[in-house]
Amino acid sequence: METPPISEPVFLILLSLAMQPRHGYAILRDTEEMSNGRVRLSTGTLYGALRRLLEDGWIERFEDEDTSRGKQAYRLTSLGRRSLQMEIGRLKQLTRVASLRTARKES
Amino acid sequence: MLKLYSSLLYLYPASYRREYGDEMLSVLASVQAEIREKSVLAQAHREVREAVGLLHGAMQEQLRSITGSHGNAMFSPRRMPMRHEYRFPKSAAVLMTIILVAVLFTIEKAETVSHAYANYDGGPLIWVEISVLPAFLIALVLAGAVAAMGWAVIYALRRSGIHRMSEVNPSNAQRSGR
Repeated sequence: METPPISEPVFLILLSLAMQPRHGYAILRDTEEMSNGRVRLSTGTLYGALRRLLEDGWIERFEDEDTSRGKQAYRLTSLGRRSLQMEIGRLKQLTRVASLRTARKES
Repeated sequence: MLKLYSSLLYLYPASYRREYGDEMLSVLASVQAEIREKSVLAQAHREVREAVGLLHGAMQEQLRSITGSHGNAMFSPRRMPMRHEYRFPKSAAVLMTIILVAVLFTIEKAETVSHAYANYDGGPLIWVEISVLPAFLIALVLAGAVAAMGWAVIYALRRSGIHRMSEVNPSNAQRSGR
């Protein structure tokens, strides 16, 4: 059974945590950078998504030297990584079909 | 501005505020520091966006604490897969039945009245004079009642979709799929 498709902001949050643990502000900056400024999350939206991801076990809190300064870092769990891989696979399949369809139409 | 953000955080449920409040304020302080060197317009734009984000987030979290539903902010509702099973909960079916009975009853009464006055020749009918204020109040009450019924049906339908989607635990689903 597949997980439901995820929204673009959440996809970007997961991608942001795929390489290394990050705290809230770093996630905000990274998602904006990855989307070339198209997706600009507000703090309220970010924490709504983080809360849900934590509850579903896709991410977890990560203790580092910044934690004591009120900067809680988060990292992907193995479940979150698998879910991200599934979403990437889904998007790849979709773009493959899209390329084929548009190529046929053009020819 | 941080004071305003801090006040807006009080709109969130207390448990949420305890868990994420300090972190959110820390992020908001970083955002404030970042935009300090930008133009006034850019600053205003970002500040409004943050304030609206907090208001929207608070509304969603309050709704979640009231309904117990997760909400579906992260999973895009527009891409929600179609479901084959019966979607209407019992409450929606009961409400729709009540509305149907009310409509049928009104039609029946209207027919009775039209039959009773089909051959009426007792002079002109006396219209009941209703002044503006009572008429306005009656219209207001009727509109309120209709809105409440509509809201109840929509609420019941909403719970049928979102509520069931929120019961789908991705972790369990994935484990069972492997």
